[in-house]
Amino acid sequence: MNAIEIRNLTKNFGPKQALSGLDMTVPQGAIYGFIGENGSGKSTTEKIICGLIHPSSGSVKLFGKDYTDIDVRANMGVLIEAPGCFPNYSVWNNMMLQAANLRIKDAEREVVKALKTVRMEGAASNKYKNCSLGMKQRVGIAMALLGNPTLLVLDEPINGLDADGMRIIREVLVDITKNYGSTVVVSSHVLAELEKVATHYGIIKGGKMICEMTASELDSSCRTYSALKSNDMPLTKSVLLKKYSRIEEDESGYIRVYDSVPTEEIVVYLYENGITINEIKTDKISLEEYYIDLMKGGKANG
Amino acid sequence: MDKVFEKNTFGKRLTSMLHVDFRRMITTPLIYIILGICLVAPVLIFVMTTMMDGMETVNPETNEVEITESKFDNFWQIIGTVSDPSKIPSSDDSSDTSSDTTDTSTDIDKEGKQNPMGDMDITSMVNINMLYFAVAIYVCLFVGADFRSGYSKNLFTVRSSKVDYVISKILVGMVAGVLMLIAFFIGSVIGGAIMQIPFDPIEIGASAYSVAFCLLSKVCLVGVFVPIYVLASVITKQRVWLAIILSVGIGMLLFTMIPMITPLDSSFINPVLCLVGSLLFSVGLGAVSNIVLKNTSLV
Repeated sequence: MNAIEIRNLTKNFGPKQALSGLDMTVPQGAIYGFIGENGSGKSTTEKIICGLIHPSSGSVKLFGKDYTDIDVRANMGVLIEAPGCFPNYSVWNNMMLQAANLRIKDAEREVVKALKTVRMEGAASNKYKNCSLGMKQRVGIAMALLGNPTLLVLDEPINGLDADGMRIIREVLVDITKNYGSTVVVSSHVLAELEKVATHYGIIKGGKMICEMTASELDSSCRTYSALKSNDMPLTKSVLLKKYSRIEEDESGYIRVYDSVPTEEIVVYLYENGITINEIKTDKISLEEYYIDLMKGGKANG
Repeated sequence: MDKVFEKNTFGKRLTSMLHVDFRRMITTPLIYIILGICLVAPVLIFVMTTMMDGMETVNPETNEVEITESKFDNFWQIIGTVSDPSKIPSSDDSSDTSSDTTDTSTDIDKEGKQNPMGDMDITSMVNINMLYFAVAIYVCLFVGADFRSGYSKNLFTVRSSKVDYVISKILVGMVAGVLMLIAFFIGSVIGGAIMQIPFDPIEIGASAYSVAFCLLSKVCLVGVFVPIYVLASVITKQRVWLAIILSVGIGMLLFTMIPMITPLDSSFINPVLCLVGSLLFSVGLGAVSNIVLKNTSLV
């Protein structure tokens, strides 16, 4: 059974259609990277999953039950947009309120544990409004993690986080799925970070899911390329263009050959044309490049 | 394999919601500020009205000297008025003070003339009934804070049913209202003692029992007003100012009803009526609040 199954979901805000027949499948135990441009409908979908807004039509099932099911929803953790905290309350009080909301036994111990996880135990007495953006985000994540939720929905959780914060989130997401069997839906624009943890991906555009795949499917779909540097880059490019059709220069100064040819063949070809190669490597395009390619309507897979 | 979820019964949900709300209530300065105001306000009312009493002013149009009569002649006037002014025992100086005890249901002043200001004399306006507006402000700020802070996301994600939320808010509002009434009463006793105002209810046509029933009625009446304020708050959500305007506006419509339902010469029937009204309003408007929450966006 899937943790989330959405079929033909639509949501209209007046005349504007935010979601138009969205389908989404999130398997249990997955870390589902939910990707899309601004305004593509990610947050709207997440809010519907959490019951914060109502769909215009379509079905949303959580663990095989309707998304309004009281028992299923009681086991959810959420961080959508900004963390929901009272600004004049201390971090500790906000956490204790959430523990009360979730009926957590031994609340103090659980709150300390959650704060320790996000390295916020030293700032528990700080007023929430006095916390920095990154600290607020950590508090929001700690709140979402309280009670080890079965389903965790995180919208841009790494916004405002430093490198250490991002690493912590990665570790936490892996830990909660492995040790507690939780399912995580996480949307983020920092695709390089998402790529490190996600087991499944969903790419949304204009309120429609345009692509869903596992991490291994993405890996095999992502086209490989040969990247090289030579003494005379303009000449190398022009020579390569005579034989190969898909040549690009990336921002780090490499010439990329996307054509499906062995690297050795490229080396021999350039050698025959009197070009000395300084550096050559083969690599795969990143999730970010794949996504950008897909958004442009290009063929991301080679 | 099917995931098995613990049964989240209504009792569990309501308990946790009450836990959240009462924890918030006692850990937020707002309730203490409002209770402090409720405690100090009657003292100030007694002092100010006593100071103002007997002040002479000249009407610029008629050049006549007018004497302000604003003094409370009896402590219980700050709690309410009797329903029937004829019950007020006559005395030699009663003609000077009877206007202060004029029943709100009648507009006849001490000289038997129609009072053009209706019930606008200070003793019938500045009394414990003002607290129903203070309750409105408190409830609107309390409920609105859930939506303004975004905490509602945490609440409603794990609460598919909104009934427990509405019940909890109504109960918190009722408890806050009762605490305000108690604070005002204590403040009144202190103010009355400072200004040496007579405490004997018989002087104004009431008795110890009727005063007790009057106070009990006012406590029960909180339950009529709070569901209105909760409904206004869940309709307006983040727009707390709108909830306050709406609540105070509706409160003003019902304000004139309060002295009629909870007079100083109440009998046991008054608190019973107020209690029935409370239950009806709580159930009815609570159900409407629930429908509003279920059918509107919560963020």
